[in-house]
Amino acid sequence: MTGLPVASATRARAHARRLALRHPAELGRVVVLHILAAASGLVVPWLLGRLVEDVARGTDTVDRVAVLICAFVVTQAALTGFAMLASARLGEKVLAQLREEFVDDVLALPQSTVERAGTGDLVTRTTRDVDLLSRAVRHAIPETLISAVTIVLTLGGLVLLGPLLALPCLVAVPILWAATRWFLARARDAYLRENASYTRIAAGLSETADGARTVEALRIGARRRARADDDIAAADAAERYTMRLRTVFLPIVDTAYVLPVVTTLVIGGAFHLNGLASLGAVTAATLYVQQLLTPVDTLLFWLNELQLGSAALARLLGVRRPDQPTCDDDATTGPAFPGPSRSAPLVLATPVSAAGDRAGIAAHGVSFGYRDAVDVLRDVDLEVGPGERLAIVGASGAGKSTLGRVLAGVHRPRAGSITVDDVDVGGLPLEQLRTEITLVTQEHHVFRGSLRDNVVLPVPDADDAAVEHALRAVDAWDWAADLGLDARVGSGGTALSPAQAQQLALARLTLADPHTVILDEATSVLDPRSARHVERSLAAVLAGRTVIAIAHRLHTAHDADRIAVMEEGRIVELGSHDDLLRAGGAYAALWNSWHGHPDRP
Amino acid sequence: MRQFPDPDPGQPDLRSPGSYLTRLAGANRVIVALGVVYSTVSVVANALIPAAIGRAVDDGLTERDQRALLLWGGAVLALGILQAVTGILHDRCALTASLGGSFRTLQFVTDHATRLGASLPRRVSAGEVMSVGVADVGQIGNALAFVSRAVGAVAAVVVVAAIMLVTSWQLGLVVLVGVPVMVVATTLTLRPLHRRQVGLRAVQSELTSSAVDIVGGLRVLRGIGGEQMFADGYRSESQRARRAAVRVARVEAVLDGAKVLLPGLLVTAVVWQGARYVLDGRLTPGQLVAFYGYATFLSIPLRRLTNAAGAVMKGVVAARRVTTLLSLQPHDTGGASPTGDSGAPPTAAGAGFHDPVSGLRIEPGRLTAVVCAFSDDAGPLADRIGRYADSDVTFGDVPLRQLDIDDVRRRILVVDNAAHLFSGSLRVELDPAGRAARVPDVVHRAVGTASAHDVLAGLPAGLDTVVADAGRELSGGQGQRLRLARALTVDPEVLVLVEPTSAVDAHTESRIAAGLAAARDRRTTVVFSTSPILLDCAEHVVFVEAGKAVAEGTHAELLADDRYRAVVAREEDPA
Repeated sequence: MTGLPVASATRARAHARRLALRHPAELGRVVVLHILAAASGLVVPWLLGRLVEDVARGTDTVDRVAVLICAFVVTQAALTGFAMLASARLGEKVLAQLREEFVDDVLALPQSTVERAGTGDLVTRTTRDVDLLSRAVRHAIPETLISAVTIVLTLGGLVLLGPLLALPCLVAVPILWAATRWFLARARDAYLRENASYTRIAAGLSETADGARTVEALRIGARRRARADDDIAAADAAERYTMRLRTVFLPIVDTAYVLPVVTTLVIGGAFHLNGLASLGAVTAATLYVQQLLTPVDTLLFWLNELQLGSAALARLLGVRRPDQPTCDDDATTGPAFPGPSRSAPLVLATPVSAAGDRAGIAAHGVSFGYRDAVDVLRDVDLEVGPGERLAIVGASGAGKSTLGRVLAGVHRPRAGSITVDDVDVGGLPLEQLRTEITLVTQEHHVFRGSLRDNVVLPVPDADDAAVEHALRAVDAWDWAADLGLDARVGSGGTALSPAQAQQLALARLTLADPHTVILDEATSVLDPRSARHVERSLAAVLAGRTVIAIAHRLHTAHDADRIAVMEEGRIVELGSHDDLLRAGGAYAALWNSWHGHPDRP
Repeated sequence: MRQFPDPDPGQPDLRSPGSYLTRLAGANRVIVALGVVYSTVSVVANALIPAAIGRAVDDGLTERDQRALLLWGGAVLALGILQAVTGILHDRCALTASLGGSFRTLQFVTDHATRLGASLPRRVSAGEVMSVGVADVGQIGNALAFVSRAVGAVAAVVVVAAIMLVTSWQLGLVVLVGVPVMVVATTLTLRPLHRRQVGLRAVQSELTSSAVDIVGGLRVLRGIGGEQMFADGYRSESQRARRAAVRVARVEAVLDGAKVLLPGLLVTAVVWQGARYVLDGRLTPGQLVAFYGYATFLSIPLRRLTNAAGAVMKGVVAARRVTTLLSLQPHDTGGASPTGDSGAPPTAAGAGFHDPVSGLRIEPGRLTAVVCAFSDDAGPLADRIGRYADSDVTFGDVPLRQLDIDDVRRRILVVDNAAHLFSGSLRVELDPAGRAARVPDVVHRAVGTASAHDVLAGLPAGLDTVVADAGRELSGGQGQRLRLARALTVDPEVLVLVEPTSAVDAHTESRIAAGLAAARDRRTTVVFSTSPILLDCAEHVVFVEAGKAVAEGTHAELLADDRYRAVVAREEDPA
């Protein structure tokens, strides 16, 4: 399985930076509140240091200092609460933007990429990675921010107490620096590997659940369990590797931040014994350094989560524009499809050509393959005039569906061109491409939402009359009216049968009303009688449109103006039904085999 | 560290979420116990650091004794190193406990999904299984990891309390009363938070479902449009989730404030009282510093306790969903008792069927085609013959429901177009029973019968190609032929095929029809189809209308029946 790409660390960092600066005022407020909260937290040890000195000397300032300490504790608590709320607001805003952009990116993803990667990977990214990123934004980033602010302020406080007293704690810096560098250099890839291993677990379980009946029928439960065990073993190995990294890293840093406490105490103590520092200053300095423990600990703890978050971000951004070019990715053949949220180029408003002089759809010298070195389409030439009905027939695997997808602009040809009214399909923005060509396949997905939502996809502002008209055109009005247009369908709602789902797909098509329709076995799930009826009503609705029907049943071909016969990725015959029968070639052979029963001519 | 997966994960305890978690923890009890020990040593070492610092201040600084200063400074360092080493040892134990819980649960869920088999889609949505397998598994691991953390925290509180009581029982009492009050107060703020978090989780999982829905329907959306509508819909749902999260954050902010305020007030009280005692001479300045240290330090185990409470709460919620899933029972289609009659002994020809409801009779040892006037009739009929639904069908002369279910599955194979092609090497996928070990060319022959050699030829590594998820790279016709090849490789006593050629073209279909008859020579084979090419090759054809067998004979004989002809010769029907 070729996974979806993952963005580089540099790109993820740059993106995170841009996100952070998108709301400067709110970010500023969050930082200031955290600084104030941390600063009021620092006053307490300082007051205590003074108190210790005073009481050691026998001076009674206890009540005054205690009230002050109490006041600062309350202030710090209030400021902390406000700071956390402000950062949650900002975090949720950024998070919502991130996931919405991710969904936009998914919606702009070339289909070929999705098919190759499988939905398991995308599902993991939409669930686990969005979740990990949420944790990072909700907890790791604010905690890191608070810790960083506290550390800086505490160091500042130390310098104020006496620059000499600030020196001993620096002993930890080189150790922390080296250990952290060592850890971070290895952690990112290790955590990416860990995430990938969980993706495999999810994909495996998803297959077991989706194919549960097949598992029972073929009695392959043991094999599915073995697959899960393998995936678990891989995840376990990945987890143990990251644990090994932490086993080296954490004890070093833990020791590294006890060290400054000891050095401040001992060296500061020596200063005091030699009259270079007061007892109060040494006490306060020791308390400050000890107080540094918590934010440094927090910082390093959340670094871990930040790593996970950044790995998740890299995976979410990976969907945006594939880093690794594949044979039919837009990256290698032209500009990416504009996403739904991005502004479409200006050409959108201009029709390709006036309705009068339409030239239809044409393929010239088209070659295409899903993998390198294996072409599914080979040098295909095809011209379909406006309003013409063309049927594509051929043996399974001859490349019919692939030709349909290439004609519809789903895949870019490796060589050659597809033009609609003499304009290259590759250059058309997707929104315009759709008003020109619509592809309906045998695949049907019922979306979560109302029945109406499921029909109005191509024309979101369609009124109920239009929806009813579309449903009537595909014989679906009876059951649709029973359910009601507001009925919730799709996962979590009323379950629709495959036939009903297919009718919905066709209803969408009649609503979209494009110039050219490509039907890829679009009625195959309907039972024979309904299929025939639906096809007939559909033909009435689509009168005057260019229709390219991919069919394995020959009656569809029989009704078409022209028939293209495909073999091994090439069009080997092209002509009307009668022409082809007379020619006595592959089509005639197919027709006779289909017609091979005794009482038919 | 212990390695997973456990070859024998044992049985889950499904009596309650709590007992489920307890059994999981029990499976790793040595690790959990070690974790408790390490956690306790680590936290207590940490707790003793303030005491050592206090002695350094008193004996070293106040007494101006350099040796004492160095001695107690060294003690601080030693405690620090002890805490670091036991800390990481605890982390390793916690991870093992967590992975043990997560991976065991995953094994249970996978195992149960395979045992539910055909009943699974009727009992639970695949999405629910995924949600348990991805999210809840993690929560359970997390809850187990927090057990040792929480115990360590409690131990630290006890040790610190003991030291304080010995030093000054009055101050110790202040702390001892103060800490439980703090815990209770935090739990009180935690309760409404938990309620809101449950609400938020529902909103967020709806949001995730919407995103997953978009991913699932991506091909449709990219084909016909509507991305904008879904992007807008997702955006407004996402904004709703954002507002819900901010509402929860408000409660969380109060909790965060309380986490600072409560220990802070306790510290203030301790310092206030302690300073007075220093003035009275009942306490040394160093002991006051130590008390300050204890009171500040106590917020760490306190925070751990609240975190642990949160993690355990989430773990219980997750465990409830897991136990609910694991308690689902397979659909009862008859006696699965081990004493069940194994029916007519397997024969080369296989036994025949009789379905009293439809009147359908299948003779053993031949290729029977069943034509259903309404295609929706085929599935339920095939389900009855294959005992995917309870019925009065007899197999041989024995009621099918009395047979052992394992025997039924071994002897009768039903293949419909919803049959799943799993990812992995085709060599393994097409030979699920591993028959190639005994019959080397079995896969090759089956692929030939299914007319699927061109499918393999189009793949980069032929039979050794690893196909992606659900064979999405294959067209409908290609997938259908591979499913047929797989069924032929299994070579069951009775093979039931539902519309096996609905997605292949006429030419290929006639090749398959001829090959199928030869491959299943003198073996019971039932094909549900309305295709004249396939029907023409069947030895016997039964016509089913409105759920009843109304006519039978050969295809040529039945063509005289107008109703039959209308169904099978639909392309000639005058419009």
